[in-house]
This record gives sequence, structure tokens and C-alpha cells, in this order.
Amino acid sequence: MNLNQLAWRNIWRRKRRTLITAFSIGFGVMLAVTFTGSGDYTYTNMIDTGASMGMGHVTVEPVGYHLKPTLDKRLTGTKDLRERIVGLDGVSDATVRITGQAMFASARKSVGGAFIAVDPAFETEANNLLVRSLVEGELFARRDGRGIVVGSRLAKKLQVKIGKKIVYTTTDATGEIVSNIARVTGIFTTGEDTIDGILALLPIASVQQTLSYAPDEATVIAVLIRDQRHAESMRDAISVLPEAGDASVLTWKKSQPDLAAVIAFDKAGNYISQFLVGLLIAVGILNTMLMSVLERTREFGVMMAVGMSPKVLFKLVMVESFWLTIVGLILGIIITAPWYYFLYYYGIDFSDAFGDDFSYGGVLVDPVFKARLFKESVVAILGTLFMLALLAGLYPAWRAGRVPPVESLKTI
Amino acid sequence: MHSKVKHIVRMQDVVKTYRQGKVDVHAVNNVSLEIEQGDFAVLCGPSGSGKTSILNLIGGLDVPSSGQIWVDDVDLSTLDNTELSQVRKNRIGFVFQAYNLIPVMTAYENAEFVLNLQGVDEAECRERVMQTLRAVGLEGLEHRRPDEMSGGQQQRVAIARAIVTAPAIVLADEPTANVDSHTAESLLDLMQQLNREQGITFLFSTHDQHVMDRASRIIRVHDGKIDSDEVSH
Repeated sequence: MNLNQLAWRNIWRRKRRTLITAFSIGFGVMLAVTFTGSGDYTYTNMIDTGASMGMGHVTVEPVGYHLKPTLDKRLTGTKDLRERIVGLDGVSDATVRITGQAMFASARKSVGGAFIAVDPAFETEANNLLVRSLVEGELFARRDGRGIVVGSRLAKKLQVKIGKKIVYTTTDATGEIVSNIARVTGIFTTGEDTIDGILALLPIASVQQTLSYAPDEATVIAVLIRDQRHAESMRDAISVLPEAGDASVLTWKKSQPDLAAVIAFDKAGNYISQFLVGLLIAVGILNTMLMSVLERTREFGVMMAVGMSPKVLFKLVMVESFWLTIVGLILGIIITAPWYYFLYYYGIDFSDAFGDDFSYGGVLVDPVFKARLFKESVVAILGTLFMLALLAGLYPAWRAGRVPPVESLKTI
Repeated sequence: MHSKVKHIVRMQDVVKTYRQGKVDVHAVNNVSLEIEQGDFAVLCGPSGSGKTSILNLIGGLDVPSSGQIWVDDVDLSTLDNTELSQVRKNRIGFVFQAYNLIPVMTAYENAEFVLNLQGVDEAECRERVMQTLRAVGLEGLEHRRPDEMSGGQQQRVAIARAIVTAPAIVLADEPTANVDSHTAESLLDLMQQLNREQGITFLFSTHDQHVMDRASRIIRVHDGKIDSDEVSH
């Protein structure tokens, strides 16, 4: 009989105790999957939503624009650069945009706000949250047209409806005050009051003319990627494109620092929760293994008396911890699978409590609590719990081999 | 012409002192002893006389406060814990009063246990274990666990575990104390047979007259000292 077989039989000596401990590990798996899965889902959702609000997962912009976004800074050759970027592996879309501050005036009111000038040919519901959030009208049909799409709160402030005129005034590339007129073609409601209250979409060609920009000049190329976790590598890939020249390439963490800070803070809380769960599990295993070792002191004495070395005895108890952990992890996978399936496909709807337009960190958050686990998260959960469980077995294993056999044999 | 006698155990001026509260207790007090190959020797004396302490010291389960012990020409005083476990594994067999079998193992696996620790290959293990179980009269019971066997059968498994490695000496601490007189007699028959036929050296601790009657040598211990050492006929 080898150590593995002996350890396996030993852990089933006290079936109830082993099962309770295994269930505690399994419950830990379930909690870790819930915490991590909801984090993976929510953060991805927030990052993707944030990206579709204007700046993308990766932003190409003129040097210094991030710190001081004035319209005298601009990218040139945006058409060629966009085409190169769209051809990169992992890029789902890239859109050329001009972003800036503007004063909007209707026949009745004037309100300060911001605009994003877009090419309607490339803007879709998939890559633009504002297009996705249209509640009235439609996106202007032509890039050189005179349409404008405004947020519902901005429309309310300006007291405008579909078809009404708005004059927008901004500062051009040379610092001159310039104005243009546009007719409301659509109204969007994202649910985020700040966005709905200040933002408008304009046709890029019209804005380029207004600002005295050349046809391939813009302030931003917003790049959307298939997996937000690859933003850094995508930034590096874009930076080395010859067409990028000396343009500044930023990930969403730089272009949306508030969102990045909120996620980092939330993640830290999540890690602390998971650490505490892990600690509880480790204490449970420590308790089980310690009891198991203490009640077998005499038996260990016999084993050492007939020639088992303290090192092999240590190994035996560690192998017992290993099997206990494996049983717990398997049990954890079994009890977590239906729970994860439910969270993956259905989730828990908190819209009654938070409303449909719950925002966090400046972006809208899905009020349905769902979970999506990244592969690396699965490995991290199982790996961490496995290591914790083995660590918890170290002390009992060390203790088992430490008592001199003559003392062990005296115990009843 | 004299054939040279091999000493399996040699104890020289061995002292073992325990601290009980503020008092030093001399469990073994300046004992010098030699056990020869083929001995069927008994350490006898009243409870607390030091019999088990002497067995523990010879078995490397305990270390002396002073003095030296050699087992099969190995000086135990120079060994660390791991080396002592090697000596126990390869040169000494133990039989305990309370059998002390591993409860999750069958009779076969208990007997096989020390061979596994020695790293003996599976085929040889099987041959030696089956041969030993036959020798102790347990053929057909090899798949039973300790809780499925009588006290006598369990002690036979313990004897099988002790002799399966062909040790230099078997140390048996009151091996008949937990069994009825009939079983005790059959266990003694078995050990005597193993001693006679296979030349295995036995050293018992006991205060059972039946065991003493079978011994070829009786060493009487009192207050940690050897009172007498007689060859029995």
C-alpha cells in the first residue's frame, strides 16, 4: 500500500468530518466563483460601456490632448491610421472622432456642454452607447449633414424636440470662436444624468469644416477591442504602427482614470472578501487535520516505531490534506456549477432596488447581478484554494512527525 | 573449539532519567546487558521496574541519558531521528501489548507496511508477506481488517509485521497481556517456533509466568537495575 492509498483511506475514517470540511471548501469555491465571476462580468461590462461612450478601450490622440483637450491639437492622416488599426488582430472596430466643449443654444435657452463628432457610416449600436440609447428619432444620415443628436436632459434644458434647430459654438484650431447650426435628428437617454445632460453627437465632416480641420484630421481614434484585458498589448501594437507617428496611444485606464480608480477600489474590496473566505476555509482544514493528527498520535508512534521516518509521516499527513482538498474542490465544482449556470444565463435582477439606470464610476452598470469567469480566474480560484488548503495542512503534518515515538506510544 | 557468539544488543552503563515534577526518576539505572543472537530472552519484573524503558532504549524509541547501546553493531547514540528510524525499519521488529495495527489496513497490508517503507518491490513483498502470514497461521485471513479479527489473530498479524523483514531482533512488550491464556500459549508456541526454526532473536518484557517458563534466558529487573540474569533450561 502506498502513501496515497493510505492517506485516502485515512481521510474517510471520519466520513462526517471529512464531508463537512469538504463542503466548507466547496462552499468557498462557490463564494469565490460568485465574487470573482461577478467582478469579471461587471468590470468587463463597465469597461466596455465606458469604451462605447466615446474613447474606446484604446485611444489614439494628439500628444498632450489627454491632459489639456483643446481643439488646436489634432491627429492627421486618420483615415490611413484607422484602416491599419482595424486590420490588427483583436480589434473589433475603430472610429474617428472629434471631441470638444461647446455652447449649445436653442431659440429659448443656452447651455454649456460637450460634443462628439462622428462619422455616421461607422457608428453603430455596437460601438456607440449613445446610438444604442436613442429613444427618439435617429442618427443623422450624412457625415456632412447638419444633424445633431442630443441627450434627453440637454434637450429638456434647451427645450428642443426632433426637427428643432440648435446653434453650437466652440473654439477652432486657431483659437477663434466659431459657430454652426444643426437640426435635432435624435434624442438619446443613457440613464446617466451627466451624459444625458451635456452631450451631443454631431456629423464629423460638418464639424471639421466648422473647425477648419482637413478631411482626415480629428482629435481621437477610439479603438474597440474584443477582450478588454488586452488593452495594454493593443496599445503597444498601435504605438509602433508607422501611421501612428508621434500620436499618443492610451488605454482606457489612462483615458478614463475615474473608472479605472473605481474598478481598482472595488477589486481591492473583492480581494479582501475573498481572502477572508479563504482564511475561514484554511482554518476549517487546519482544525480537521489537527484533530485527525491528535487522535492518531499513538498510531503515528507505532508507524515511527516500525520504521517510518518523521519526514515520511509529514508527507503522509500532507497527502491527506491534498486528498481532502481535492475532494473539497470536486464537491465545490459540483455544487457551484448549477449556481454559476444560473448566474451566467439569468442572474439576479436588482433593478427594483437600484433602478434600470444605475451608474457607478461614471458608467452605467447592469442592474442584473451576473457572473462570467475568465479562464485565468478559474485557475486562480482553484489554485489559491488548493494552496491555502495545503498550507493549512503544514502545521498538523509538522506536528505529527515531531512527537517522539516513545511519547506517542504512551497516549491512549 | 568455541564458535564466536554474535551480540545483537549491547548496553553499557546505560542510565535513563526522567524528570517528574522536581524529582529525577532513574527508570534505567546503570544497566549493562548483552543479548545474543538466537536468544529467547525475557525481561521480567514488577510494573514500573524499568522493563519497557529498557526495550524502548534498545529499540531506539528513546535515547539514554548516559551510556551506550549497540544494536546489530550499530551505535545508537550517534544517530539522529531519521537514522534511528532506519535502524528500527531494517534491524528491529516490534510487538506491542495492544497489537497496534493500522486500523485502515488489512492483515496483509499491515504485514506489508514495513516492507513498503523499505522499498521492497511488489512481487517480493507479496511472496514474503504470504510466506510470513502462513508461518503465523493467518493464511486465508489476509484481507481482514483488525476490527474483523480476534485479539489473538491481531497479535499474530503484529508478529508477522515484526518478523517479515527478517530483523536482527524482535522486541515484544508484554505481547500476551491482552489475550486469554489459551491464545497466549499459542502465540508463545509461534514465537518459540520462529526462534527455533528461523533463528529470530526475541526479547520480551513480561511479568507473565507462562512467558518466563518458555524463555531461554530470564533477566530480572528491579528499580531500573538488573537483579539477575539466568539461563533457563
